[in-house]
Amino acid sequence: METLLIDCVQSSLRHFMLRNAIFLCERLCADFPSELNSQLLAICYLHNNQAYCAYHILKALFYIQKFMAIYNSHLVWPQNMKGHKWLNPATCLQFHAFRWIFLLKLKQHYALLSLMQRYTDRRKSAVDHFKRALSMDPLLWAAYEELCVLGAAEEANGVFSEAAALCIWQQLLNPGSNTPNLQITNEDHVVVLNKTLGSEEMSPRQLKSMQGNIFRDTPGNHVAVFSGGPSSQPSSGGSSNISLYGTPSPMPAQLYGVAPPPLCRNVQPNLNILGGESSPKSKINTTLQGSRRKLLDEGKLRKKFCLSSAYFGLSQVSGRLFSDSEPRRSTRLAGEAANTNSNSLQVGTNGSGHSSTRYFGGLSSSSKLISAAIRSGTFCKGQPSASESFDEGRRSESFDDSRLDNTATTSSSASLFADDGSLERERTGQQMGGVLAHGSRVSSGILELLDLLRTLGEGYRLSCMYRCQDALDIYMKLSHKQYNTGWVLSQVGKAYFEMVDYLEADQAFTLARQASPYSFEGMDIYSTVLFHLKEEMKLSYLAQELISTDRLAPQSWCAMGNCYSLQKDHETALKNFQRAVQLNSKFAYAHTLCGHEHVALEDFENGIKSYQSALRINPRHYNSWYGLGMIYLRQEKFEFAEHHFRRAFQINPCSSVIMCYLGTALHALKKSEEALNMMDKAIIADKKNPLPMYQKANILVSLEKFDEALKVLEALKEYAPQESSVYALMGKIYKQWNIYEKAMLHFGLALDLKPSATDVATIKLAIEKLHVPDEMVDNL
Amino acid sequence: MATESSEGEEEGKAIGGNQHLVVDDDLREMAKKAAWSVSSCKTGNGVQFLRDDNLDTYWQSDGAQPHLVNIQFQKKVKLQLVVLYVDFKLDESYTPSKISIRAGDGFHNLKEIKTVELVKPIGWVYVSLSGADPREAFLNTFMLQIAVLSNHLNGRDTHVRQIKVYGPRPNPIPHQPFQFTSREFITYSCVR
Repeated sequence: METLLIDCVQSSLRHFMLRNAIFLCERLCADFPSELNSQLLAICYLHNNQAYCAYHILKALFYIQKFMAIYNSHLVWPQNMKGHKWLNPATCLQFHAFRWIFLLKLKQHYALLSLMQRYTDRRKSAVDHFKRALSMDPLLWAAYEELCVLGAAEEANGVFSEAAALCIWQQLLNPGSNTPNLQITNEDHVVVLNKTLGSEEMSPRQLKSMQGNIFRDTPGNHVAVFSGGPSSQPSSGGSSNISLYGTPSPMPAQLYGVAPPPLCRNVQPNLNILGGESSPKSKINTTLQGSRRKLLDEGKLRKKFCLSSAYFGLSQVSGRLFSDSEPRRSTRLAGEAANTNSNSLQVGTNGSGHSSTRYFGGLSSSSKLISAAIRSGTFCKGQPSASESFDEGRRSESFDDSRLDNTATTSSSASLFADDGSLERERTGQQMGGVLAHGSRVSSGILELLDLLRTLGEGYRLSCMYRCQDALDIYMKLSHKQYNTGWVLSQVGKAYFEMVDYLEADQAFTLARQASPYSFEGMDIYSTVLFHLKEEMKLSYLAQELISTDRLAPQSWCAMGNCYSLQKDHETALKNFQRAVQLNSKFAYAHTLCGHEHVALEDFENGIKSYQSALRINPRHYNSWYGLGMIYLRQEKFEFAEHHFRRAFQINPCSSVIMCYLGTALHALKKSEEALNMMDKAIIADKKNPLPMYQKANILVSLEKFDEALKVLEALKEYAPQESSVYALMGKIYKQWNIYEKAMLHFGLALDLKPSATDVATIKLAIEKLHVPDEMVDNL
Repeated sequence: MATESSEGEEEGKAIGGNQHLVVDDDLREMAKKAAWSVSSCKTGNGVQFLRDDNLDTYWQSDGAQPHLVNIQFQKKVKLQLVVLYVDFKLDESYTPSKISIRAGDGFHNLKEIKTVELVKPIGWVYVSLSGADPREAFLNTFMLQIAVLSNHLNGRDTHVRQIKVYGPRPNPIPHQPFQFTSREFITYSCVR
């Protein structure tokens, strides 16, 4: 298993799937801690720009000098890129992305494409693409992770199963099978989809020059893909994303992230999204104008879409660009891309004559990025069989989606593909048989790895579905070595956090920090846990450490902001959170925290805006739903509040706090029965949370059911003896009943517990009113 | 708490000055979004120096007494405390000696709520706005006016270095009759 893991890590590195590489490498080091493996981990971090992590690891190995050498070479690397003719770093990145798309495995592309699509709200297609990616390469953890976050993951057992084992094996045995897919390159049918958004900035000249460059630079590389996009940064700061990404995600993915969904304004409604949505080839530019249809006739793309699509998210070939020259081509190409995944369908026609960029027949459906409707029937429908197949070598199948329309050429190509697909399938089947006899060691390694991934995957999936107790149980099944890694421990901490069990979460995160003190995964959640526990010292220590480790990570600024917020300095806290947002605008939690600060400063408009941006990034971020509900509750818009709390509850059904607030909102809407039910549920869900009981008592008091309220409050007294509001409420009840002595007693107790000034005033007033009847009685 | 000047016992309480500004945690500064204006000022010592958090800069009036500092809020607010920084050692005859605080809806219906007599104050002077009655713990008002009626040594103009206005924090949890005090309750009171 160790060798298998090492191979995977290296191939992920080569393909710039950095997050994947890091994750797998961490697993590797947990189980087989050795110098070599640690070095590999350090290299992964370096590639991901996390030099401090690498430093930490290598320091442990006394490899400081070696580290410096690596670090320097790493530093040199981007400079090489700068020396390029590319106009900006984005271009370089895209270039590289294309390069490897070209050279490599489509599966990663799928994942990228999906990421891109995820960022552009193409949830369904993203889900599809990720699934494809996973089916192509079950070891692509990043894809599974994203699926979980999108909330559409299947059972890990299904994904990391026997079939998966076979497929990995196949891959190992047939490394060459990838190459035919790459043949396409010669054609330089690069379809670059520039985002029409950015298209304004991109001049056709630039595009052409880029293309020229591409061709020149990659004679042997078959990388023809160039995204004109880079130069035309998507309006919403795609460029900023590119420059900013300090967060550990694959570089290309970041680019994708930039692709804003709103495609081109030029998109004409008749352009349908490439069947590509379904088609594997990412037609990123499906948004291209219908005129692109003609492009279909041109060659097919062989390129792996994923990447291209992803990139394209960034840089779509602007319709504008094309419209002047060869609008049709792009569509066609897109169509092609969809169709032929790595295939050798070479649609020879695309010669360098193309001035437009071509799409890369992306891998699979992930390309739906821009699916905004652009492509209408331009693409012919791929054969379903082709796309379904999950042949390693056969990427074309992934494109079942590309159902394009019926252009003659495309349909023919499609059928061509289908045939190819089936042919290849057979071939592979034969190969498989031959190989089965071989490498039982390899197979056992594969099985072990799959086993591990299965456990982790299932745990992650459950925690994303917020079934936290189950997730925790699963993580417990891990081996001791694997459990004590930073990633797993922070996932455990996160699970406890979602269950509102802050003490356990604190413990888990402390262990995580000890295990990997340089990791940022989940540190923002840790800072929130400390905030809830009101641990000022620990929180400020954490914030200082994080900032000194990496000033460019949004998590460190989140921790800092939490620190200030704990001290009620909301303005500074807001500034810190805004910095975190600047560093990575796709980091949903930073937006949510900004929203919380706006609300604390009573700036509800900006609060709503922040929460909504968080939701745009990740609609399953229940904290934002909760935040919106709170704002509406304050503004007394109770229906809205109820709706938002309900959404939050649907996403995270195990949080008693949300249930409690949902109950409050229901009560405000006069649905007191439901409110009480909700409170009961909350009480059962979490015994340690005194709030639902208190709220229940409140509701009962307003319903004038004083007896029951009193009972609840008596019970509550046991749980939280130092809470003045409990006594104050009891005092109120006794006052209602005119039992003055008891009322006085409770009010006195409440005052002793030092409530806030407003409450002091209220309680004193209540006491005064109490006395009046006494006097009246006396006068009588 | 360093220098405390002698306190006379007059009807409008004489207060000394405190070196440090110490305010309860459940109070917050309310006047950041209010409109501040003064009855008169000397060029280079305008109203902004009352709010710049710098004790070296001051507002200097330039007209007839009483000198007025008007604070107008956008909505009715609950106020509890007014704090001024004045320094007799530095300002001598410019140091205010009698201050009146008025409140109301606007310039037309201000009513005096408090008068304070200062005797050689050095530092922060706390003026509480609450009455004795628990019903009057807070002052609910649209506008606050701080009038300097007379200065030490019968000076005409006055220097005030800083003014802050405090009120209670709103309940972080809406629709709650009382605020929470214990850690368990506060921990579970919100999702962040």
